[in-house]
Amino acid sequence: MKNNPLTISFTALLLVGFAIGFTAADVAAQEGKRPNILLIVADDMGYSDMGCYGGEINTPVLDNLANSGVRYTNFYVSPTCSVTRSMLLSGTDNHVAGLGNMGELAAPNQVGQPGYEGALNERVASVAEILSDNGYHTYMAGKWHLGMKPNQIPHARGFERDFSTLVGGGSHFNNGWNIEWQIPKMPYTEDGRPVKKLPKNFYSSRTYTDKTLQFIEEGRADGKPFFAYMAYTAPHGPLQVPDEWLRRYKNRYDEGWDGIRHQRLARMQELGIVDKGANTADRAFFLPRSTGLAPAVRVASGRKMEIYAAMVEYMDDQIGRVFDYLKEIGEYDNTIVIFISDNGAEGNDLRGMMAGQPGTFGFLHAMNNFAENGHNSIGRKGTYAEYGPAWAQVSMTPFRLWKGQLAEGGTRSPLIVSGPGVKGAGGWNKEAVLHVMDIAPTVLELAGIQHPSTYKGREIAPVQGKSWVGMLEGKTQSPRTSADWLGWELFGNRAIRQGDWKISWLYEPFGSEDWQLFNLAEDLGEQYDLSDKFPEKRAELIALWDEYVKTNGVIIGARSPFEQASKALPNRVPEFDNYPPVRGMEAIPYQKLLEAMNK
Amino acid sequence: MKKNNRYTRLLALLVTLVSILSFAVPVLAQDDGARAYWNTRSGTQMFSFQYLSMNIGASGSVAFAPDKYIYPNSYIDANVFFGTWARHMTLFRRPSVLAVNVIGGSVNASVDASVPSEFLPPGMDPDLAFSQSSSGFADPSVQFVTNLFGTPRLISNVDMLNYEPTVSLDAAVMVAFPVGQYDNDKLINLGLNRWYGRVALPFKWHFGVFSPGYMSSFELTPSVWLFADNCDFMGKTLKNDPLFSLEAHLTHDFAPGLFGSLDMLYQQGFQSKMDTLEVGDKLDIGILGFTLNYSVTHNVMIRTEFTSNVFGDENLETSVGRLQFVYLWNKDNINAEKLMQGH
Repeated sequence: MKNNPLTISFTALLLVGFAIGFTAADVAAQEGKRPNILLIVADDMGYSDMGCYGGEINTPVLDNLANSGVRYTNFYVSPTCSVTRSMLLSGTDNHVAGLGNMGELAAPNQVGQPGYEGALNERVASVAEILSDNGYHTYMAGKWHLGMKPNQIPHARGFERDFSTLVGGGSHFNNGWNIEWQIPKMPYTEDGRPVKKLPKNFYSSRTYTDKTLQFIEEGRADGKPFFAYMAYTAPHGPLQVPDEWLRRYKNRYDEGWDGIRHQRLARMQELGIVDKGANTADRAFFLPRSTGLAPAVRVASGRKMEIYAAMVEYMDDQIGRVFDYLKEIGEYDNTIVIFISDNGAEGNDLRGMMAGQPGTFGFLHAMNNFAENGHNSIGRKGTYAEYGPAWAQVSMTPFRLWKGQLAEGGTRSPLIVSGPGVKGAGGWNKEAVLHVMDIAPTVLELAGIQHPSTYKGREIAPVQGKSWVGMLEGKTQSPRTSADWLGWELFGNRAIRQGDWKISWLYEPFGSEDWQLFNLAEDLGEQYDLSDKFPEKRAELIALWDEYVKTNGVIIGARSPFEQASKALPNRVPEFDNYPPVRGMEAIPYQKLLEAMNK
Repeated sequence: MKKNNRYTRLLALLVTLVSILSFAVPVLAQDDGARAYWNTRSGTQMFSFQYLSMNIGASGSVAFAPDKYIYPNSYIDANVFFGTWARHMTLFRRPSVLAVNVIGGSVNASVDASVPSEFLPPGMDPDLAFSQSSSGFADPSVQFVTNLFGTPRLISNVDMLNYEPTVSLDAAVMVAFPVGQYDNDKLINLGLNRWYGRVALPFKWHFGVFSPGYMSSFELTPSVWLFADNCDFMGKTLKNDPLFSLEAHLTHDFAPGLFGSLDMLYQQGFQSKMDTLEVGDKLDIGILGFTLNYSVTHNVMIRTEFTSNVFGDENLETSVGRLQFVYLWNKDNINAEKLMQGH
């Protein structure tokens, strides 16, 4: 959106604006003031965790945001965080932006290849760089994970103020242990300089909020709009929350994951997020039904979910501080707020992956710094808890699998957009298929800036995302047509979505190590491979995959974290209709699904 | 103190000694110990064996006339064992504990006092010095403890997982049975030859994280000991006033399975009367010490404690060393461990 050159008085403009449906962003632009952009990213938060998405977790601030904005049900990210963040800030595919694979897990044949730098590369310009050059203050607080070299850190990539952790995860408190042994303490930067010592009362969500408020306050005198990127590290593991919040959900999850998932699904159906007849994912084949667990085991497991929920609510509370402050200084009504999660909920044993085998440095690091996992101690400083795949699947209700996987459970994220000019307050958009790459072009258009073809004398890749501005203004339902498609590749897993159709190739036992075809309109849970029924559609999508590889320079890794998964997990048993029966989560019989699709 | 005649004066001297020596009766002289009143799962049984080595040096003062005092000295060396069985249970929906103590061992005492001959009955040696020893069982006792507030029922694995105490208050009643070794012609005995008992209000404040390796507590147990009369004390009736006691512990886990405690015991009272004659001084002793407790396995513990008096009566010097083995068992806990294997 470009500045309107009209110079008539503000009052008259308002009247005209209301009369002909100007957006508030237009009005702000006509005032000579472009909108602030507040981009909030949760880390590993699930699709259905927030109250406004059917979750039982108390998130009043985000629920209010949803009531004043629009919620989207088909918003896609990458299965892991740095990969998503590269697309978020560049507007283009991760294989172009330098995160063709996570830097920590790059395969030997990917190392050193273009697009596999493991950091936001020079082939792209970050949205912060462009905004900063075009009159915006650019602030960041939280997780970067897009490079640690001096020319790769937030300050070097366009953020004039930052307080950032450069790595993927670690302690949320001031002891600062990193989950990776190679860099035992999480490196932080503040305004481009290393942070030597974290504040004594450091807690990730609180401190990132403090810093964001500080940056906005210190920069607002000149009246320039701001772009603030709040990259919270909650609720990424280790699950930790200030002591006074630890028992906020005490015994809330004692009934186990199946019951909670069933309740979430019911609320999602009431909210209209999931159709009542829609096929949803079965519990992952290797997970026990929670009703079959001894009560004490359910309580022990539920404790981890309690802490996770407390982390989400704490983050919500901190976001509320930002909103309150913006209202106090009169900027809230001129701020576009975008809230997303970076990937599916964490169902992997991240600590185990990082620790590795006994006898290694990684194992020693984990034992020294992340070994404490007592029932009453987890969640506190110095402990390490993750809630595991069963709860991750609850967080990703109604989808299949979780973070790291190219199933819907790894790549769907909640999305709330609110602010001046966003039409349809309190409503849902269930039609638009959106992608995290869209955010950069959307932000640039909201700021009235064209994405450049060169940056600082170098050619940069064009954005692949599509701006949502028309959609936000209510002019279109989606920035994409039914012919548009999206592609993903990570760890050798791959997927293409076009319209309601999706093909995916997943390592066994999560997939078949061959392309499988799903119709997401009927089969949200990706339960039924329709390859045999619709071979032409499958072939069409495979052709799109080939195009995706060619366009983005995808190199399938010679190694993958999932290559041994079939040996580590029990055999996948054949699926039968309604077997094993799961309370409230019964699958639609395959035959009925086929009948429905043939109608 | 009135002194009716020389014989009475001598008895008064002896009673003073007895008062001091009574402190050597182990059940009075030792504290309950750190974390003694911590609650655990109903159905848990505990067997404890303690060995105590006690050394007590005491000097008394007896006024035989205005500005005429004598100072009896005594030295007690005791080797004592405690056997305790306890069972945690739920009574009227409250966590409770029933404990039975059996005490035995040997006590050796040597006493000397120089008494001016004019104060002694005819024929008595003015240099009073003797040694006595006793061995056998002391008075067994039974104690019942119940929680008044602060601790929920602890019956199931779920109860134990949800148990995160903060403050709690118990009530404890102990009764000792006068069946221990008593020889009425000895000044030193293991049994007291009378009923006695104690009422206590153990208070616990758990602070920090209630998880192995992190637990800390402050414990305060005020109590009062009550004594019936000993009607067979050298032909007289020996009475004692109540003994007031205040026990405190500050405990902290240094690591999972290893905790330490700073211990304090203050006792006052126990004024003796022979028939109606008040004799000797009341007890006034403050003891400090420390405890180390190591859990060898989840249900076997070794504990050591050392205490010494550092305030109160300056005429008393005590040092007590304790070594304790504790074995706990609960079949439901065994099942819980099996259940949680792999989790």
